[in-house]
Amino acid sequence: MIPDRLPLHRRLRRAFFPVSPEREIADELRAHIELQTRRYVAEGMSETEARAAARERFGDIERVRAECKDIRDDMETKMERAELRQELRLDVAFTLRTLRRSPLFTTVAVATIALAVGANTAIFSVVNAVLLRSLPYRHADRVEMIWNNYSRTTAAHTAIAIPEYFDLKSQLRAHDMVAAIRTQPSALVGDGGEPERVNAIVVSPNFFELLGASPAIGRTFGGDDGAPSATRVIVLSHALWMRRFGGDPAVIGKTVNLAGLVRTVVGVMPPDVRFPDAPLGFLRERADLWIPTTFENLRADARGNQIAAVVARRSPNVSDARAKADLDAVAAQWRVDYPRRYASENAKEWSLVGVPVRDEMLGAVRRSIVVIAVAVGFVLLIACVNVANLMLARGATRQKELAIRLALGAGRARLIRQLVTESVVLALVGGVIGLLLAWLGVRVLVQLGANELPRIADTSIDATVLLFSLTLSIVTGILVGIVPALQQSSDGTREGLNIRAVGTAGRARGGDRLRLALVAAQVAMALVVLVGAGLLGRTFLALERVRPGFSAHNVLSMQLTVGRPKYDSTYKLVNFYQQLIAKGRTLPGVAQVSAGYPLPMSGDGWSGSYVVNGEPSGPNDPVPHAEYAVTLPGFFQTLRIPLLSGRDFDATDTRDAPLAVIVDELLAKQHWPGQNPIGKELNGDGPGAPWWRVVGVVGHVYRAGPQSEGEPQLYLPYTQNIQTTLSIVARGKGSATALVQPLRTAIRSLDPDLPIARLRPMSDLVSGAMARQRFNATLLGIFAVTSLLLASVGLYGVMAYVVSQRTREIGIRMALGGQPSAIRWGVLRQGIVVSVAGLAIGMLLSLAAAKAISGLLFGVKAVDLPTYLGIGALLLVVALLASYGPARRATRVDPLLALRD
Amino acid sequence: MPTQRSPLLQGTLDLLVLKTLARGPRHGYAIARWIEEATDDALRIEEGSLYPALYRMERRGWIAAAWGKSEIGQRIKIYSLTPQGRAQLRAESAQWSHFTTAVAKIVGQP
Repeated sequence: MIPDRLPLHRRLRRAFFPVSPEREIADELRAHIELQTRRYVAEGMSETEARAAARERFGDIERVRAECKDIRDDMETKMERAELRQELRLDVAFTLRTLRRSPLFTTVAVATIALAVGANTAIFSVVNAVLLRSLPYRHADRVEMIWNNYSRTTAAHTAIAIPEYFDLKSQLRAHDMVAAIRTQPSALVGDGGEPERVNAIVVSPNFFELLGASPAIGRTFGGDDGAPSATRVIVLSHALWMRRFGGDPAVIGKTVNLAGLVRTVVGVMPPDVRFPDAPLGFLRERADLWIPTTFENLRADARGNQIAAVVARRSPNVSDARAKADLDAVAAQWRVDYPRRYASENAKEWSLVGVPVRDEMLGAVRRSIVVIAVAVGFVLLIACVNVANLMLARGATRQKELAIRLALGAGRARLIRQLVTESVVLALVGGVIGLLLAWLGVRVLVQLGANELPRIADTSIDATVLLFSLTLSIVTGILVGIVPALQQSSDGTREGLNIRAVGTAGRARGGDRLRLALVAAQVAMALVVLVGAGLLGRTFLALERVRPGFSAHNVLSMQLTVGRPKYDSTYKLVNFYQQLIAKGRTLPGVAQVSAGYPLPMSGDGWSGSYVVNGEPSGPNDPVPHAEYAVTLPGFFQTLRIPLLSGRDFDATDTRDAPLAVIVDELLAKQHWPGQNPIGKELNGDGPGAPWWRVVGVVGHVYRAGPQSEGEPQLYLPYTQNIQTTLSIVARGKGSATALVQPLRTAIRSLDPDLPIARLRPMSDLVSGAMARQRFNATLLGIFAVTSLLLASVGLYGVMAYVVSQRTREIGIRMALGGQPSAIRWGVLRQGIVVSVAGLAIGMLLSLAAAKAISGLLFGVKAVDLPTYLGIGALLLVVALLASYGPARRATRVDPLLALRD
Repeated sequence: MPTQRSPLLQGTLDLLVLKTLARGPRHGYAIARWIEEATDDALRIEEGSLYPALYRMERRGWIAAAWGKSEIGQRIKIYSLTPQGRAQLRAESAQWSHFTTAVAKIVGQP
């Protein structure tokens, strides 16, 4: 019982002043005037005179009345607040006392809430870091990425050629700034440290101004930066600055040797600026540094050489529609200017698209994160139901206490408030522990999703997260407490003093019905999470089953960038790689070794258009498009890409020899169905340029990942297509990692200054390409198992409780000769009815949920009957098991004991 | 009616009310009367300002009110001193005598 410890006079005032403040004041003042009038009358005045004199003596009665009213109102509020504070203090103290008295209940409830709030907080902190925290660019809302788009139905975004960039720059009207971006993997040497490969992004000089990003120290680009004649400058990322230069501000003005060119550091960006902060098309990695260029040297490049990403900034207050119209106008202009490229049959779905930079960076992850957040929210609800049921069961044992308090005049609202206080205290304790769990969970999540979720590394428990988990705990507390509180406070008077009503056969009482309904809801929610996890799990398995067209088994990969000034001639470049391959072949443990670029599933990409000799290439004819790669001899053998006909590149494909190309089966089938492709000719340099002769046909490779087949592919010999960056691939006789040391030594012996990048087994690339699906499936799997456990515990608990409440009735039945099997069946049936009801609702919810996540699925339909039936059956079995224990216990009731009770 | 009356010093009204109630519970009118009579009508309090003062003191918890009956049988609020009010009275009385002694020292000088 809660003692009422309000000060005595306050309580008296409440008890004896049951009138409104207005009445109180009016009565009091009238009494005063009346008494004064009487006195004047007694002194000999007439009644009228006396009353007037009394009023006059009193002064402005209205003003006094108003003043008193203000004070009284103020006092009422203060008293109410003080009373509430007092009651809250008492409730909390009382709660802590009662919770200490039932440690088992407290532990189970707090642990359940801690788990659920912890999981939700951890996921929320990821959502916060990845989705909610804004991008570190002032103009982020106005910045969009502009892509060539070749399909109306799918988002087939393709890079922009430099001449296209210049056209965009001069022709866009509703955009006030346009910049181009390229990658340039570079060796950073000559600043005293170990050589290191850094991810350099080459940008137009107006790039930082366009984004609205200011440097932490120094300056960004401007003036004639990037012009061919200007001083070569760079801006460093904060991470590189800390890593290479120890965060020394004196770095400004220092020179570094970057890919053979001396460049001066002019600025350092703040820590959160890493553009691209998340993969943007072919820009896969966050920048270590930025190099300015005007791209003037490429102004006359081929329009098919789509090598850059373009960012554009809308002018202020330009609507989505106007920005789109702007791009459409430019596209229309290009169709007129270059009909063969943009107006042909093949390009009939071509358009220029602008995607807000935020959507571009986060669009792909948003949906999966939302799914995960919803799933974890369901886990919380299921946990809430368990705790609510615990409170209900516990409340039943406290009915007498509540009834007495109701009888003694405690208001129902007051009782509800106290019961809810109890659950909120529980939830807050659980929330604090949950926060600790979340802190641990966040580390696990960052590990799990490190490569795949942009900005996840920035995940931390900050003020927003704290506020979230506090709010969540309080809401949880109220949710958990309100239903039992409402129920108990109304039951209290009826049943509490009456000790216990005897349950009637087969029919659930009000409280039981509520409990059973809650459990049915629990089963429904668990089903939704399980179905979601099942579908995403099957997606992951389907992706793993995709045959990507190559074998990563025992293959080690690494990337080298061999540049100027050391390698300033084609001969030196080719020579280096040929020597390396030759040396690699002799290494013990190496079966095959070769090189190429880009590697499948590495995230790197290269694609372009081409023309076929003999196929019409007029203004209205199609311009076919393919994925390109350069390779050294032995590439296909090393990766086990089948050579279907013809030959691999070899030593005869020299610079002076006829230009050679190897195509994949898709390209061959597309252009020469039923014919021998060997000897056919095509090229990617446009009509009039020398033809490339097809020397071989190989199998198709899933280059971007198992999700999509990709475009037809063509391979060029490295010797005829020199570039500085190549990936080395080596197949070991044993495990790939055994090759790391010998290969490293071999490279060092050829060039000790050469940094080795992306050194990893090829199988990591393949699994990396499915990292997001694995992340989704893993998390949802964890939540599904948790939901299943929570729901079965909930069902078990409620069935056990229902049985314990019916002990008397069951005892009587047994005494009257009731069959144990019938009694067992009666209990079991109740469990089944509840579960089936839950399953039915859950199936409907699952269908809706599955439709919503269909975009994340691969190789499995949203309405996948086996998944639904399998999971439904699983849940039903678990529900049966959970009800069977209590059912069996019911038949063990000793009739005598039950009746005596 | 008396013609010679001193205006009340700021803040002294509270002290007078507390002192009055120290002699026993009274209603508002009786408090006003008693102050006048005890000072031989030398101090006449503004009756209008008495009530806000009473309400303020009640808010501060110095005095408590309860319904009672007046001499002529009306329902009327009777004020009484709370323990808090008693403490306040002691503090204010001490302050008052300190103040008057100090003033008297100056005023009493020739």
